[in-house]
Amino acid sequence: MAVIEPTLDDAGVMEFVATGFVLLEGVLDDAFNAKCDKMAGGNIDAFIGEDEFTKTVLLHSKIAGVARSLLGEDFLVPAGGHHHLYEAPHLGQTWHSDGLSGLGYDVTELQCYYYPQAVEIEDGPTMILPGSHCRAVDREAIAHYGDIRGQMSLTVPAGTVAMTRYGIWHKAGPKTNDRRRGMIKFSYHRQAAPQRDWKIDAPQIPEYQNQPRLAYVTEVESYRDRVRRMRTWNWLCGLDEESQLRWERSRPVSEIA
Amino acid sequence: MNSAVGEWLATSRQKLQAGTLTAQDLDRLAKLVETPRQLVLYLYSKSTNMRSALASWMLYDATKPQEPTLPSQEAPYESVLDAVADGWRIVQFPDAKLYRYDDVDNDYLGFEFILEKMI
Repeated sequence: MAVIEPTLDDAGVMEFVATGFVLLEGVLDDAFNAKCDKMAGGNIDAFIGEDEFTKTVLLHSKIAGVARSLLGEDFLVPAGGHHHLYEAPHLGQTWHSDGLSGLGYDVTELQCYYYPQAVEIEDGPTMILPGSHCRAVDREAIAHYGDIRGQMSLTVPAGTVAMTRYGIWHKAGPKTNDRRRGMIKFSYHRQAAPQRDWKIDAPQIPEYQNQPRLAYVTEVESYRDRVRRMRTWNWLCGLDEESQLRWERSRPVSEIA
Repeated sequence: MNSAVGEWLATSRQKLQAGTLTAQDLDRLAKLVETPRQLVLYLYSKSTNMRSALASWMLYDATKPQEPTLPSQEAPYESVLDAVADGWRIVQFPDAKLYRYDDVDNDYLGFEFILEKMI
């Protein structure tokens, strides 16, 4: 049985809660990247299900370590996936989230994007919108958005893996060249009940430390974001529902001497 | 009749009599009778106020070939009001009643103004 050690600490988990992604740049080696780069586009369940992909990518200590941190013990390892491959120039995809956005404050699926080759801005990199992972949307109803303040183009070195909370807004960006640009997509899932069993220094659960306001966010949205993040943090820590919904830094008057 | 075309005809009759009508005059007429085409600009304001900063934007320009352009973090205007000052006409204002939210959850991003410019 593979023993996977969590790699994120409280600060890392809190950052994920706010942004909805972890970026691991250049974690996979050139030889394996070259092999993946030759894959045809489309469904690659068989390739992902092979031992080599499982051991090299899915159980890689840094990649699986993030999955272990955010999805708990005995998380489900992908047995399939898809190779999104682009070569000709194109306008780019429209903003969307995949399938069902994932309403609520839980973290039950990490959708991962693996880039076997370096991606430059002209290659039509995947674009993500940090912090968008908790907005449940009709994917067809956000297709008309264009540029968004704070959007992020994943221009990354070869061997990079982005791990996102399923539901994050994303798209293939506009591509202006003919260079091959591939991305292998696969997902890890949670089995265990949530608890604070990532890398911790002390047993006391710290209060959620709010993260900087995102560029596209309005005044009231920054307020909503803070509450949403706090609820996700509390959920991940395994706090009960009453604790999850309790207003931060507040305490019953009876507890005050 | 379009008043600009009417003016062109009056001027051109005089030029015709004087023998000074040129190909440039005909080019000008061609421009005058072209059907104006609509540019559409979506601006997502951070509030329903036209002076608010923008969260997102998208220009649809059917007068040019649809080719990929690199993403940008620079909005074309500081606000909806700035766009109006540059000649854009608002064809749809955000209706606050349509921006539904439930507790701390919502599914939109910015308040949608749709603008047009005829060229």
